[in-house]
Amino acid sequence: MARFLVRRVLSATLTLFAVSVLSFLMFFALPKDPVTGMCPKNCNAERLERVRQELGLRDPLVDQYVGYMRGIVAGRDLGSAQGGHCAAPCLGYSYVNSEPVTSTLSRVLPVTLSIVIPAAVLWLALGVGLGMISALRRGTAFDRLAIGFSLTGASLQLYFVGAVLLIVFVYNLKVVPVQHYTSMLENPAKWASGLVLAWVALAFLFSAIYARLSRAQMLETLSEDFIRTARAKGLAKSQVYGRHALRAAITPIVTIAGLDIGGALGGTVITETTFGIQGLGRTAVEAVRGGDLPTVMATVLISAAFIVVANIVVDVLYALIDPRVRLQ
Amino acid sequence: MSLSPVDGVVLAELGAADSLVPVGAGDFVGRSPGQLAWARLRRDRTARVSGVALVVFFVVALAGPLIEKVYGVSPQAQFQDALDSFGMPLGYAGGVSGSHWFGLEPHIGRDIFIRMIYGMRTSLFIALAAAVITTVIGVVAGIVAGYLGGWVDTVITWVTDFALAMPFLITALAIVPTVTLRFYGPREAEPQSFRVIVLIVIFALFGWTGTARLVRGQVVSLREREFVEAARAAGVGLGHMLFRQLLPNVWAPILVAFSLAVPSYVTGEAALSFLGIGIIEPTPDFGAMIFRSIAYLQTDPAYVFFPGITIFALVLAFNLFGDALRDSLDPKSSR
Amino acid sequence: MRSRVAAAAGAALAVVVLLGACGKNTGQGNKVDNGRTPTGVIATDPKDSMGPAAPVPGAANGGTVTIIRQAKISHLDPQRVYSFAGLMTAPLYSRSLTTWRDDGKGHLTLVGDTAETPGKNVNNDCKTWEFKIKSGLKFEDGRAITSKEIAYGIARSFNPDLTSGPTYIQEWLADTPQYDTKWDFKANKTSLPPGLTTPDDKTLRFEFAKAHCDLPFAVSLPSTAPLPADKDTGVNLDLQPFSSGPYKITKNTVGVELVLERNTNWDPATDPVRHQYPDKFVWSFGADPEAGANRVISDSGADQTALAWNGIPSSLVSKVAGDQSLKGRTLLEPTPSANRLTINTQRVTDLTVRQALNYAIDRDGLIKSLGGETVASPLTTLMPPSTLGWKQFDAYPAGKSGDIEKAKSVLAGKTPELVLGVSDDKDGTEVGTQLKNNLEKAGFKITVKTIPADAKLDETKKKNNPWDLYADSWAADWPSGASILPPLFDGRAIKAEGNSDTSFLNNDSINAEFDRVLAMDPAAQATEWPKLDERIMKELAPAVPLYVDVAYYLHGSKLGGLYVGSIFGYPAFTNAFVKP
Repeated sequence: MARFLVRRVLSATLTLFAVSVLSFLMFFALPKDPVTGMCPKNCNAERLERVRQELGLRDPLVDQYVGYMRGIVAGRDLGSAQGGHCAAPCLGYSYVNSEPVTSTLSRVLPVTLSIVIPAAVLWLALGVGLGMISALRRGTAFDRLAIGFSLTGASLQLYFVGAVLLIVFVYNLKVVPVQHYTSMLENPAKWASGLVLAWVALAFLFSAIYARLSRAQMLETLSEDFIRTARAKGLAKSQVYGRHALRAAITPIVTIAGLDIGGALGGTVITETTFGIQGLGRTAVEAVRGGDLPTVMATVLISAAFIVVANIVVDVLYALIDPRVRLQ
Repeated sequence: MSLSPVDGVVLAELGAADSLVPVGAGDFVGRSPGQLAWARLRRDRTARVSGVALVVFFVVALAGPLIEKVYGVSPQAQFQDALDSFGMPLGYAGGVSGSHWFGLEPHIGRDIFIRMIYGMRTSLFIALAAAVITTVIGVVAGIVAGYLGGWVDTVITWVTDFALAMPFLITALAIVPTVTLRFYGPREAEPQSFRVIVLIVIFALFGWTGTARLVRGQVVSLREREFVEAARAAGVGLGHMLFRQLLPNVWAPILVAFSLAVPSYVTGEAALSFLGIGIIEPTPDFGAMIFRSIAYLQTDPAYVFFPGITIFALVLAFNLFGDALRDSLDPKSSR
Repeated sequence: MRSRVAAAAGAALAVVVLLGACGKNTGQGNKVDNGRTPTGVIATDPKDSMGPAAPVPGAANGGTVTIIRQAKISHLDPQRVYSFAGLMTAPLYSRSLTTWRDDGKGHLTLVGDTAETPGKNVNNDCKTWEFKIKSGLKFEDGRAITSKEIAYGIARSFNPDLTSGPTYIQEWLADTPQYDTKWDFKANKTSLPPGLTTPDDKTLRFEFAKAHCDLPFAVSLPSTAPLPADKDTGVNLDLQPFSSGPYKITKNTVGVELVLERNTNWDPATDPVRHQYPDKFVWSFGADPEAGANRVISDSGADQTALAWNGIPSSLVSKVAGDQSLKGRTLLEPTPSANRLTINTQRVTDLTVRQALNYAIDRDGLIKSLGGETVASPLTTLMPPSTLGWKQFDAYPAGKSGDIEKAKSVLAGKTPELVLGVSDDKDGTEVGTQLKNNLEKAGFKITVKTIPADAKLDETKKKNNPWDLYADSWAADWPSGASILPPLFDGRAIKAEGNSDTSFLNNDSINAEFDRVLAMDPAAQATEWPKLDERIMKELAPAVPLYVDVAYYLHGSKLGGLYVGSIFGYPAFTNAFVKP
């Protein structure tokens, strides 16, 4: 287990390094010049060029990259145009937001976590719950309804569902407040009511795959010999399904959940935009559009880290859930 | 919003790996597993209904220019005289009439019906091409990694992890404007097909990881089987081993993954439109159409309804068919 | 298994029901009345510049005004403010040398803000200007505002770190666009830029090498806001400006929320234009234009006192205009933002081609595709109607939908091949489609070249850009032809990149005319600019005037005192109040 973890962490570090290099290069190929955005109406080319030099955009790419990475580890001095000294972990200064990128991240990360984690709990509970019950009541009206519901969700667009939810519940029925992030520590009730539509929309779209999967897995497991043996031994239905069948069916669900949650934590751009909530995804998109390199780098790295970590967690969970899996 | 659209569904198969490989056990009647699956598929009513729907969609998309001739309206023609001073279509339900079956787009005033027909062509072409390319890349990478193992496996697995870790939407957002500016001269219009190709390439870059992981897992479990060892002992070449011996044994899950990948690219393409990097005007496209129409949910519901219900039906039909296909290929999943 | 299909179909049916049935649109009653012509004076009597401002009828104290906007305000630091949202917010927390008294109907008076009058032209040559500073002005911490702090504010705008702000005064003082090399702010923090002096605490003096008769207008921009040197936090001032106005910033969560609360050290007796009715102004960022408008339409809770800053998007216009109950909550005014189809005269050298474009243009179709008359109002002049002294003329009369036959006869059989550069976003590409279909009817061969939206402005401002036509927009910083025609068409200022003269017109006789008019008294200029506008259009046709943006706003039922500012065409907050 320990050796496995070390190997995975090393490989993950290498992945993140490659992600950082690639996103750095990608950014410099962009047609958007980060500096002309600062240009007022009567723009002066020479003055702009001085700004570019001041911001270090004329340094060789390698120097810029090394400087950025060193800043993360040891902090760096950015000059008065970028707010002076930037302590480690320094992710740079965003001249678009007029603040250090670490401030941006510490503001938007809790937002994305608040959207994704409760939504994931909801979609897992809903999806797996529907799937399991459908499997046990195979062929009944409930089964058909549940599958129809989940397939409908899977075939819709998030921004469509979001727009309908907003128009019905916020603008017309007025039973849900305008979607807006409030810190959970500050006011849990406002936190929940301000994000509930985002959770519902994500859960509706994401639960489909879990419902179909858990239904199929459950059906398959139920026909396995060990379940028949357990039933024959006279174990109670609930015990057989709950302990044995569920456990065997859960492995592939964990795999997908890990990927989905890891991906979603990297930014739910469309959800955030639809509901007007400023999280990681939207920040990343605005940074790419605004030519805001330090913010692009930071958001890409964080998103990638979430996915990489989610992958490792899934592997470890595998071993914990299923004793047959051995990590090597 | 799974980054690799195929991932979710495909990885699910890993859990049920063994059951999905039709090794021919109990093949008493002498029918191949493929024939068995086909028979099961034909008996399945969902498969029949969704299959027929898909055929209709494809025929309509292919017949686009023919339909235009019969219908008599071009996808680029504007009918602004039929709009009021706010640019909203006059008449009932967004300007539905004998000459404009599904009404007109607000503001720009083009015919929705004919743009939907052409939009379907664009969307289906992108989705199918992306699905074919990602499947081919995924299968080759997976089969090579799974069979050869060792450092080849390590490298391919790492590249897979890397592609998975690159945030899809942000990367796409960076790539699209960049390549657009690099490939065409400043005074050359970007041909309509160019953006289509760019989108397919973007899907191809990110979409293959799921299939690769799936196939690799399957091949690893086959590697030590007798028939592989027998072939190895007989000294067959690597190509023969990979594509003649191993591939035929993993086609079932690949097929399922493929059929479920297509609709995910249809919706994925619509998501790119949302970010402003999808298909651009004046090319008719489903994703762009549905995205543009959402804002009119309250003022011109018909404009949202016609493309919305069609893209919904298309994706649903694919999903139902993929589901049915899975069932028919999996002898154990009895219903 | 049919049931699965049935369940899905049922869900689809639910969507249909939800969308609701739609009545017949007959196009009746959808008419909007646009149009106003401004009058402007410069107040010479110091009494006009004294407070308190006349009370707003029905106004009451208290409450919170919410402003909903998609993106954050790009800069708050008064020396860096230049976006419309910033220019309309800055007066709440910063005072400039002069300001406009604006009734929202086009009647403008330029008055002193921190100055007692809008400046004294000492030798009547527009080279030496003197401003007397009012007594009783205070910062948010109670310190008095003197000419020293105002001079420091102007000095710090020379700091190259503080990008994005207007550059008029710096360039005029230094007499070069390279003002930051002429005078280095960081090395001379305790002194003042050349030509700027403070003979005493109540006097501020500008001495220019050349005549700048527009100075009283230019110092109405927030970049003349005062700042004590010890409060200068460099780039960080952008997050927390130091207030001299009726409100101060108490909370700033970038991209989420900006809260302004009453500044008790502001004295209404010194202020001719501002009020302090609401307890708070809150900018709430994040909602897209549709969401913002929908929130205000639904008018519940805090949104009853809210304004949707992004306006009513074209997709919702018919809902708002058709709803009589919303009538009292809308603002509808044309703005000074003038849009034109720029013709790159370096490439399209044939005057008849440029004239034919002007005959062929279908403004009515274009405006429909943009969203109709609540979004845009047709324009045939280079200057918008909101310019002081503006006169209507049409150098190429062709009706509202263009005159294709006339254009063809002007072209005389030619079929010019032109490349139209448009941004690759939804609006840009739709305008591309519209213009291509329109112009090709007259015989032009139009290639629509999409340019990445984020880069379009930078690219078209480059001298050697490869396109023939592109849509451009210009919003003047003050309503005088001097801030429109010379920046747009004086070819002597053309440089490699960052050009405002995107037609790249450089005509000696026109340039000489600019010099002649610019040296005149601002009041006398007002009658000259329209003549020059007409002459440029008739003789050179360097652009096709298209439309002015129309401001169409909706606010909550309990918000009062809002009007569309005549200078920038955006909602002004100085009179805002919450209805009890």
